[in-house]
Amino acid sequence: MELRLTDLRDGESGIITSIKMGHGRGHREHRGAGRRWGFRKRLEDMGLTPGTRVTVVKSAPFRGPLEVYVRGSRLAIGRRMAERIFVKVKK
Amino acid sequence: MIKSKFIVVLAGNANVGKSVIFNHLTGLHQHIGNWPGKTVGKAEGTLHFRGYTIDIIDLPGIYSLSTFSIEELISREYIAVETPDLVINVVDASVLERNLFFTLQLMELEAPMVIALNQVDMAEKKGIEINYKKLEKTLGVPVIPTVAIRGTGVYELLQRCVETIEKGGEKPSRMKYGEEIEKRIKGLSETVKKVHYPYPARWTAIKLLEKDEQVEREIREVKPEIVSAAEKFAEEIEEIHGHSCSTVITSERYEIAGYIAREVQHVVPPIKPLMRERLHALTTHRILGYLIMAVLLLSIFYSIFTFGDYTSGLLSDLFYCLEPIFESIFGAGIAGELIWGGIMGGIIAGVAIALPYIIPFYLVLYFLEDSGYLSRIAFLLDNVMHRIGLHGKAFIPVMLSFGCNVPGCLGCRIMETERERLLTAFVVTLVPCAATTVIILGLVGTFVGVQWALALYIIDLVIIFLLGRLAFKALPGEPTALIMEMSDYRVPHLQTVLRQTLFRLMEFIKMAFPLIIVGSLLIKLAEVMGLLNPIASVLSPVTVTWLGLPAITGIALIFGVLRKELTLIMLATLFGTTNFAQVPNFGPVQMIVFTLVTMLYIPCIATIAALVREFGWKRALFITVFEIVFAILIGGIAFRLLMLV
Repeated sequence: MELRLTDLRDGESGIITSIKMGHGRGHREHRGAGRRWGFRKRLEDMGLTPGTRVTVVKSAPFRGPLEVYVRGSRLAIGRRMAERIFVKVKK
Repeated sequence: MIKSKFIVVLAGNANVGKSVIFNHLTGLHQHIGNWPGKTVGKAEGTLHFRGYTIDIIDLPGIYSLSTFSIEELISREYIAVETPDLVINVVDASVLERNLFFTLQLMELEAPMVIALNQVDMAEKKGIEINYKKLEKTLGVPVIPTVAIRGTGVYELLQRCVETIEKGGEKPSRMKYGEEIEKRIKGLSETVKKVHYPYPARWTAIKLLEKDEQVEREIREVKPEIVSAAEKFAEEIEEIHGHSCSTVITSERYEIAGYIAREVQHVVPPIKPLMRERLHALTTHRILGYLIMAVLLLSIFYSIFTFGDYTSGLLSDLFYCLEPIFESIFGAGIAGELIWGGIMGGIIAGVAIALPYIIPFYLVLYFLEDSGYLSRIAFLLDNVMHRIGLHGKAFIPVMLSFGCNVPGCLGCRIMETERERLLTAFVVTLVPCAATTVIILGLVGTFVGVQWALALYIIDLVIIFLLGRLAFKALPGEPTALIMEMSDYRVPHLQTVLRQTLFRLMEFIKMAFPLIIVGSLLIKLAEVMGLLNPIASVLSPVTVTWLGLPAITGIALIFGVLRKELTLIMLATLFGTTNFAQVPNFGPVQMIVFTLVTMLYIPCIATIAALVREFGWKRALFITVFEIVFAILIGGIAFRLLMLV
């Protein structure tokens, strides 16, 4: 089953399938491909590449950022970014 | 014959102990400044070892060598173009996989390197044991385990560095990607070799496949065919893998890093959760985390400003004891007034007003940053700060600005991109500082009513919110989004923190003091030459007609540029009373308008100096001019609205 990273409950994990850019909420499309490239590149550079297992540790209240565990380290990801990360979960 | 002078750079992820190693190596022989034309800090130092003079440059802490941030650009450009004799890659042993991802990229830049496998003690506590000899063999790069905080291994590191340079600085071995990618990298680098480009051909080829904006642009200028060939190759790879070529390359790099990490480390996770794990859980807890943060930040704020206030008063008194001495030397004439009121006035403003706040601020900032707590604050407050287009980390400079805008501006460097720094600085200069609060309370609070003082404060916050949003929309570039590592808590290295404070402070003094002194001298000169009243009448269309204030408030506002609280002091002097209620033509409406304007009209000269220091003249001037115009506009509107009430 494919879900957004933000759909996972605390403690759940999944395998990243893709990072989708350009149709999230509050995104201004016209700024062009360069920025989308930068976004995805940034996430991937931090280790969130397709095929990687990622665990949601917890999220900050009031739609705050997510704390995730990936590749042996702990990351904080803003919610708007996390919404673009899709994961596969065994159900 | 080898030369006797080397350049060595320190590179690595953030929070891996780079600055601690830098401090061990260079001691007091360091110089902190900015990279030319950038708001990125650059630390340089010198050390002498076995007859060699070694210049050490501490590169910013980064995770990759792409075009995401200026730090990454500066780093890769420095390594490839300035060709240092050696790169020391500082690696956090407890997060090996992530750190090796960066190491692999450094290796692709083909600079001779040595790895400092740092924080091996923390790794051990986490149950991670690393076979560093095996790592050395796999990478083909010397690896020295260190615990920088205790100085362990630093000498060996230095020894190995010098040995490596003496041997002629071998290039590290080459990491191989998948067959289908390698084939295309080879093809591309053959053509890249034919054009003159400062970066290694293989690296350039990889970056072209990754669609690196800068490399594409620069290669297109010399030979556009190469870029189109790379685009074709990238499409082919995309077809094979079903992901974009840059994704595939990044994935493979991480795969290699992960593979090496698993090969060289042996992990036995501890049964009991570590103290710092529990501390992390506690400080990021959805309720307790906020409570702890509130208590901690409030006490920091309170102690910085009690200390600052006390020391500031003490220093001021001390300086003013000197006044009779100055008078006896230079006389009470024009020269005496210029020297005392102008030059000394500036020095006093700098030493007594700015320094008592800046020193504890830097100390606290470095402690928060080095311990790792700063990233937890960013995590907890990301959401709130997003409302004004900033992310969590911006809370620190903004909070500090309520005390004094100067440390607020200097604190903007904790933001990642230039855009975020500028946005934060803009917001910071609008925050009512302690001096502004004095005016709000002393004038409006005392003579109009506390509820009006409170209203002004709230209006200011609303203005900050609206302008912040506006600036966020208007400034081009990437919108702010939080993505950061929350590295494990650790005890900050006191000596490093102290030295960082000392060097940053000296840098501020060098920059800001001349500006403060010149500004103070100019205002004093205008006063001595009897120019203040003419200036006040020149300003009267604005002050009298538009803002509805008495003409002499213009003079008070001019002095306010020096120090905001001077507006109130000058007002008292000019009116000849501190009981402002008795002054004709200066009723509640005028008091409110005057305070509103004072609150917004200009960053004080020390803040302007800090802005210049961090962002250059042009941007500092832009912020200043914008705020003058904006304050006048708001003041005039407020005057008209208040007259209706």
